[in-house]
Amino acid sequence: MASTSSKWSEENDYANEYIHTGVQPISHVRNATMPREGYPKLEKLHQLKEKKVSEHAVKPYGCRIAAHLLMIQKLNSWITDHGLVFDVIMIGALVENQFILPLLTNLPIQKLCAKPGYLFIWATTQKIQELTKVLNNQNFNSKFRRLEELIFIQCNQESGGGKGFGPEDYQTCEKVPLLQRQQWHCWMCITGTVRRLTDNHLIHCNVDTDLQIQTPQSVHEGPSAVPDAMYKIAENFSNTNRRLHIIPSRIGYNVPVRPRKGWVIMLPDIILDNFDPSTFQKELYEKSKVNYAKSNQPQFLVPQSAEIEELRPKSPNK
Amino acid sequence: MRDMEEYIVFIEFLELFQSQLVEDPIRGRMDVIHHIFYEKFPETNVPDIGNFMSYVNEFNDLCGYALEFEGSTVAPVLVNVVWDRVELLENALVGTRNKPKIQQQLTSEPSSENKENKLTLSLKKLLEEPFVSVLQLYSKGFDLSYNRLDELLKAKTSFSILMTEKIKLKTEFKKGPEVCEDANHCNILSNAIFNKSGLNAKNANIEQKQAHTLLQQNKHLQSTDAYKCSQTKVHFLPIFNANTDLYLGDCSYLDTCHKLKSCRYLHYFTLKPSNNFQPLPANERLQRISYVDHDFTIGDCFTEYTRKLTPPQWINCDIREFPFPVLGKFAAIVADPAWDIHMSLPYGTWKDLELMHLPMNELQDEGIILLWVTGRSLEIGRKALTTWGYKISDELIWVKLNQLKRTIVTGRTGHWLNHSKEHLLMGLKGNPVWVNRKVDVDVIVSGTRETSRKPDEVYDIVDRIVGKYARKLEIFGRDHNVRPGWFTIGNQVTGTTIYEPDVQKRYNEYKESRNKS
Repeated sequence: MASTSSKWSEENDYANEYIHTGVQPISHVRNATMPREGYPKLEKLHQLKEKKVSEHAVKPYGCRIAAHLLMIQKLNSWITDHGLVFDVIMIGALVENQFILPLLTNLPIQKLCAKPGYLFIWATTQKIQELTKVLNNQNFNSKFRRLEELIFIQCNQESGGGKGFGPEDYQTCEKVPLLQRQQWHCWMCITGTVRRLTDNHLIHCNVDTDLQIQTPQSVHEGPSAVPDAMYKIAENFSNTNRRLHIIPSRIGYNVPVRPRKGWVIMLPDIILDNFDPSTFQKELYEKSKVNYAKSNQPQFLVPQSAEIEELRPKSPNK
Repeated sequence: MRDMEEYIVFIEFLELFQSQLVEDPIRGRMDVIHHIFYEKFPETNVPDIGNFMSYVNEFNDLCGYALEFEGSTVAPVLVNVVWDRVELLENALVGTRNKPKIQQQLTSEPSSENKENKLTLSLKKLLEEPFVSVLQLYSKGFDLSYNRLDELLKAKTSFSILMTEKIKLKTEFKKGPEVCEDANHCNILSNAIFNKSGLNAKNANIEQKQAHTLLQQNKHLQSTDAYKCSQTKVHFLPIFNANTDLYLGDCSYLDTCHKLKSCRYLHYFTLKPSNNFQPLPANERLQRISYVDHDFTIGDCFTEYTRKLTPPQWINCDIREFPFPVLGKFAAIVADPAWDIHMSLPYGTWKDLELMHLPMNELQDEGIILLWVTGRSLEIGRKALTTWGYKISDELIWVKLNQLKRTIVTGRTGHWLNHSKEHLLMGLKGNPVWVNRKVDVDVIVSGTRETSRKPDEVYDIVDRIVGKYARKLEIFGRDHNVRPGWFTIGNQVTGTTIYEPDVQKRYNEYKESRNKS
């Protein structure tokens, strides 16, 4: 009767294997490096979308400014003096101890975010509950709905020389976690309404999945505090062109944040400090398909092609 | 007896660190000071703490007890340095070496200038050949380096290393077969089984045995490589037939496809290795598990070796009405509620509240709970755990694999994005000293099975955290969930089976009282 629960089965038990060999369960995922292997249509769609996004993206912008009070001031001046609005706002990166909560509570989010607009907020497992409270507080006024909870998993703790995506795991200090941490959470929120069936000029659903795995490939590219995959999810989902990324803490040189085409990155120690509201807006009008229909506010869109429309996953038409 | 010169080094050392030695984080601990000293001055030949302590005591004798200690003689702690005495000794010693310097010393006050000179000198000495860069110098001792400090903080404690080792000894290794990554093999084997035999995998339900017999018969069609590989590794053989349109790629549903016969997408046959891993003879297995000898018994139950695993127990009941005290207390609880995930329903449906109001506090004084949640129920689940008095300690992510051991990326499995994982919230109640921490990782990689059936890996992970013989409960369980060591309750299990006499007694009493009323 000794160990009926542990059969010698034909199935793999990667958790058991980890105990004995130290090989991470996540490294057994066969499509970690090429997530869309076996799905040529989806792969083609990704390529086409990436090309479109890149063609219409503004140049990489950086705004070097101290967190978080000066950031708030700066954002307020962008709103009042220049009328800047963003469609996609990402907050935080894969570093612990950021001033995300003070930033979120003071962020002029209602004015800064277009409607419809999307918010991507990074969190560790222990920060999630505080985040839940913040999203229900006065500032957010429950105007943002959580659509998805994305998970980012690093392939190997040791990859990238120990520096990289790993949530900090201080063995001696923390008594609470019962498991070794490998995951980052990213909340995808929405304000305003979009219809999945009809608003295909605004969003494309089901292009990506809610799970991203750090591939060995990305390890070779060198450490980065923001995995490319997460930027891509935002770019693939929202077909709008104004994207802002705020990271309310210094990142340092070990795991830098890299400037990215199509994004304005606000960070105390970003290498690039070239942001100027009027240049940015001028470039936006040049690069985007501007849509004045229906709403009073112009929409800055990434134009799509018939081929993309053909390939993208659609809701069944009734 | 040492040369007098050798003590100058210690003075240099004291001057280099000054009060740092008695302050945080060193706090005068002589073992730490020894470590730092020996790293900076390896030529002094005090490799172990005994040597070093006698060296320090000699030094202390010489300078008239400039170093003041507290604590036992076994582990003395440096609390103060009388600098005047150190300086006196320094003057005396340096004097024997360098006369003019003494004169300078004697005429001037105990000069800081001289100290500075000595400091720069010693620094320069460190920078002499072989050349050491500033950064390297810093990373040598952990006194000045953040990276080193960080490493120290992240280093595994002996406790966690021993715990991991112990659990490794106690856990039976269930080695599964590897997957062959050679696409060529798969094509060759597919050809040998399906094309030549005229068998159609979509129509005929091929058994593994039959497939391997066919491979043997058609040995001449395969390379020896592929044939050999088929005996030890798993192969996913593409099935081509008249309907298959290769340009479409793989079917989103693969082996779970409902229209297998007409589907134009590509499907695969899983060819398991013919040489399956043979289980060890039962008696040998038992020996390996139960006679593991180790001295590290923290967290173990003292009857660990005489205990027997309770056979599977279950009660068919309506959880909303069943009195939990009948069951007793548990170290671990797993719950997979049938969440009402109808998006059209308003937020706080009765069902959410119902779950929130379950008297979970009756089941556990301290221990862990694991709650499966999806989509909208993520937030309710987190709220429920807090309401029940738990601290959310972890989240286990189940990375769902399909037939080909890839993540699920197609098939519109979610509203906005495709879903390829599920969340298992883990709550901690009280401060149990008996739980084993950080042995497993917070990611489960496992294949999908029938709808809503969760991976079995969870049970072993729970076993590793709370111990194999702890009492464990599954709420909302089904027949496939019952297992030794676990108590399963829910309205989907068949009948009732109880082995623990106290539970049986309380259950009978409950039944009687219900029959009366």
